[in-house]
Amino acid sequence: MTHVAFTLNGAETALDCAPDRPLVTILREDLALTGTKLACGVGRCGACMVLLDGVAVNSCLLMAWQVAGRRIDTIEGVRADPRFAPVLDALAQANSFQCGYCAAGVTIALAGALDACADTDDAGLMTALEGNICRCTGYQSILHGAQQARARLRAERST
Amino acid sequence: MQVLHPATLSDALAALREPGARVVAGGSAFQIDWSQGKARPEVLVTLGALGLDTVRMTEGGCLRIGATATFDTLDHSPLVAAQLPLLARAVRDVAAPSVRRLATIGGQVGWGVGCLLPALLALGARVGHATEAGQTETPLVHWLAAPAGLVLWLDVPVQATGTRWCWRKVGLRAAFTPSIISVAGVVPPTGGASLAAGGGAVRAQVLAASAAALDNGADMATLQSLLMDEIEAPDCAFRSGAYRKRVGAAALAAGLGPEQRNSPIAAQGHLPKGAPPAGLRTLARDPSSPDWHMRPDMPAKVAGDAGYLTDLRSPDMLVGRILRAGRPHARIRSIDTCAARAMAGVYAVVTHADIEGLNAFGIVRQDQPALCADIVRYQGDAVAAVAAVDADTAEAALAAIVVDYADLPTVSDPAKALDPASPTLHEGGNLVAEFRLDKGDPAAAFATAAHVVKETYVTPRQMHAFMETEGGWCAPTPDGGVVVAVGGQHGARDREQLARILALPEDKIRVITSPTGGGFGGKDELTVQPALALLAIKAGRAVRLHLSRSESTLAGVKRNPMRITMRTACDASGHLLAQDVRLLADCGAYASLSPAVVETAMEHAAGPYRIAHVKSHGQLVYTNNGTGGAFRGFGANQMTFAVECQIDRLAAACGLDPAEMRRRNLRVPGSPGYLGHVVAGSERLHEMVQAAAASALWRPVSATAHDIHATGMALNYQGNGLGSLPHDSAEGRLSLAADGMIEVACGLDEMGQGLLPALQAAVATHLGCARSDVRAIVGDTAHSPDSGSTSASRGGYVAWQIGARTAPALAQKLLDAAANILGINADDLRIVAGGIAHKGQNSATPPELDFARLAAYLGKGRLPAETTAFDFPKTPYTKGNARFVHCFGATLARVSIDRISGMVRVTALEMHTAAGPVIDLSAYLGQIEGALVQGLGLTLSEDTLITGGHMITRNLDSYILPGIRDVPAHIHVTALEGLDADDTLGPRGVGELGIGAVTAAIANGVGAALGRWPATTPFPPEVILNMLEGHS
Repeated sequence: MTHVAFTLNGAETALDCAPDRPLVTILREDLALTGTKLACGVGRCGACMVLLDGVAVNSCLLMAWQVAGRRIDTIEGVRADPRFAPVLDALAQANSFQCGYCAAGVTIALAGALDACADTDDAGLMTALEGNICRCTGYQSILHGAQQARARLRAERST
Repeated sequence: MQVLHPATLSDALAALREPGARVVAGGSAFQIDWSQGKARPEVLVTLGALGLDTVRMTEGGCLRIGATATFDTLDHSPLVAAQLPLLARAVRDVAAPSVRRLATIGGQVGWGVGCLLPALLALGARVGHATEAGQTETPLVHWLAAPAGLVLWLDVPVQATGTRWCWRKVGLRAAFTPSIISVAGVVPPTGGASLAAGGGAVRAQVLAASAAALDNGADMATLQSLLMDEIEAPDCAFRSGAYRKRVGAAALAAGLGPEQRNSPIAAQGHLPKGAPPAGLRTLARDPSSPDWHMRPDMPAKVAGDAGYLTDLRSPDMLVGRILRAGRPHARIRSIDTCAARAMAGVYAVVTHADIEGLNAFGIVRQDQPALCADIVRYQGDAVAAVAAVDADTAEAALAAIVVDYADLPTVSDPAKALDPASPTLHEGGNLVAEFRLDKGDPAAAFATAAHVVKETYVTPRQMHAFMETEGGWCAPTPDGGVVVAVGGQHGARDREQLARILALPEDKIRVITSPTGGGFGGKDELTVQPALALLAIKAGRAVRLHLSRSESTLAGVKRNPMRITMRTACDASGHLLAQDVRLLADCGAYASLSPAVVETAMEHAAGPYRIAHVKSHGQLVYTNNGTGGAFRGFGANQMTFAVECQIDRLAAACGLDPAEMRRRNLRVPGSPGYLGHVVAGSERLHEMVQAAAASALWRPVSATAHDIHATGMALNYQGNGLGSLPHDSAEGRLSLAADGMIEVACGLDEMGQGLLPALQAAVATHLGCARSDVRAIVGDTAHSPDSGSTSASRGGYVAWQIGARTAPALAQKLLDAAANILGINADDLRIVAGGIAHKGQNSATPPELDFARLAAYLGKGRLPAETTAFDFPKTPYTKGNARFVHCFGATLARVSIDRISGMVRVTALEMHTAAGPVIDLSAYLGQIEGALVQGLGLTLSEDTLITGGHMITRNLDSYILPGIRDVPAHIHVTALEGLDADDTLGPRGVGELGIGAVTAAIANGVGAALGRWPATTPFPPEVILNMLEGHS
């Protein structure tokens, strides 16, 4: 067991667990934060993405020791952060998802990419989504939603 | 495990002397290893404090890349971009951005595998490493042969101005792919070429002999042949070593050779042309359009708050786990659960002995045990289950269950399953189902034919790969019943099956099945419900359970692999004469819906064409290859692949364009169906051919040095509903709820297809209210009636009909009630958005009486409600199963064939559909696009690999789903919505239409380009390369 302290969605959080316990397990099993989804557990689908110090990573690949002292934002934090409201809103308005199980991970990937650079071009948006598997949509609606989100953020920042 | 964080290099070296210690940087490669059962190190030593994460220029003309620099750092480093363009290019082909933020260059070198290694080898990288003796530098090639010490940095000589270089990674899809082979080449202007290969299963290797030949002026053909000899590459489950060598050699030769001019391609046949049919509507994604409605569940889904059944947590909930057989075929001698039951924190252990009712389930026939008692027939068979205080305890308890097996010989080749000498899986033998149809005199017709084509089409064991794996929760109820909340596709039938197993009356079981994170047919059959319910009952506590991806892969149903041998004849003018179809399908271990899948395939054996003389024979056989069942398309898409490729081959033989060939053979609207049965009107096949012929995608075959582009088409003809034989009915309810919402209750499931917006649209259209006035209650046997299964493209019809059949009577009740309240004649009122209005009232003003006030006035118990019950439309044919309602489509694909790798990309997709009025634009478009891409996956990359009954595919690293880079930038979808004047059926369902013909369209695109048609899916690139060679 190891003691891990980190900032989770803005709040100081500490727990004792095995040092190699995956963050996604900590979130879903220990903290009942089930907004983060688990779909492969080996970093190949992106459903479990979280922001690690502001950039999107797979929480199934992050071991507990790796988050010590870091800032983690899950979808629960992102959806409460007004900065990201245009992204969530645009994805919803665009009906970007169908079953929606990949949605939180996609939203995190886009929130991270657009927060880093709201001028990301379409190729950049696609690169940002290379690690997110969606089985329902064929990605057309997701890319469309991402473009809408970018437009909303740009409009917001130019005012 | 212990994690050490040394602050100095000497501390790090000391820490690594601990027994079982390993270095860790980003840690991104460990989870795959651990998930496959490899031992966890006892000690992990991190390097984060050593300051090794930078990139800088050395005095010796190298970039020094620190061992813990991530791939993301390299990707964004201006130094790397300027000085090492090869590395900058290569790093973007490794993993995905989220993984590149964790993975480090030192990890790549330290693990000795990875696709960057050939780039680093070709660039002449040197490894800086530390041992107790001190720090030294060694050429990477030597270090990889004899790794020693702790990797601290890589020194990579910068690329000199004027250096020719190339990089190519060939994988299994466009991006974020396992490597099949990666190659890199560097040719400095002063000579001293350096070539390397590696990636995936290919050992990282320097190709010195070939490089020397290049320095000595070898031409590219010579170089390629030398490389073929020099590259060492093994076979793997996906690709042969020969393919790897061939691709690696070709990629280096093409990448380093002079830019080649476009190679000419012989013109292929005639291209279709014409004008589209009147009324063809392009379905555009435009949120500002009045037809665009945000789905009611979308904000919560985006926010990760949609309430999936696998997400519920409460402190008193136990966690369940299921013990899988792990072997393809065995007799169970004994099951000993003593140790597991004795463990602290374990609340229930269940085996077959705990089953009070029938230990069997299956929609068609009950041949699958809930928990195996005597025989296991596939690796994923459930043998026991555990409920414990947490997941770790449950897993420990599973490991403590001792099952004594006696292995039995396996049936792994469907072609041998019917041999008398074959082992049998079930009493009565391995033949699960068999279907024959003979009409006319095929032998005579074949004898007179001008053209006959014959091919064997092979389709894969596609995995549904719904993102939410099987799972949910179950809780006992005070009355001795259970609530079972598990994602599914037909709650009432799940309840019926569970009642048999649990020996409980159906009214003691409540089944909740929505929302579900994807189904596609894979949750039509029971999944984890039996084990979960048995655990909850035995523990007397709520239990939750969620399959890992590997367990889902092992246990879940898959698409039945098929071999379809088809011989088709036509006369000199292209009129079809005769067809002979033999189909052999792999059922896997249990029947589930597989017999219906094969029957549906056989029902579509002539597609939408007139063929007078037919001989067909389909067989479904048990094997130990996992277990099969329903999957979107349900056999029709596999058969359509064969039929539509036969049509294109015959068209080529006759010199007809693909549209004209089809026009000459289409069934006559109103004529009997393939089995001689009556079919519904509003046939739109000619219009679909017309729409396809008018497509802008018809451009001549074109070729560059890198790829060949061509266009293919195929027709869709998809039956809706369960067919003429099974019971197929639906119920629905429409009411005014106490809070003033118009509540529509439907037992179908929302699994992403858009049931909620469909129900909102159906009610709003027929009642006159707004969509936002409507609340849909779905997928819960306690609150919604049995509307049948969410399958077989039946949901669109069912949802629409519930609205159409209940709204008029409810409207009258609402108007009468409102008339009473307002003291106005009901005939002077109408229903509008939000409530009841005067007929003459301006639509901009609020309604006279809103629904909430109406509900409040009426009070509970007096709220109006309407129910409906109806049968899905059927044909009276009973000699076999036949569909009455069909929907129609034409799919076009523009393909690009890579001349180096043989991989096919789809650069444009277009689909024309005719399925009646579009209920919800966004959902319709989403269903078509999603199904097209699911079919694209089947065609190009997806297969669940099994050898000898043992699953090779275990997770999404070895099951290759299409990613965002594998799909065309734009998919064009149209709808021809009109119905015949006398057609009262209304909208058809489009859940399966998109997947029906896309495989054939892609194959026909390849056929147009090469004059040869790939017949095995997913297309083996090696076969395509062979075709390319034959072509040139």
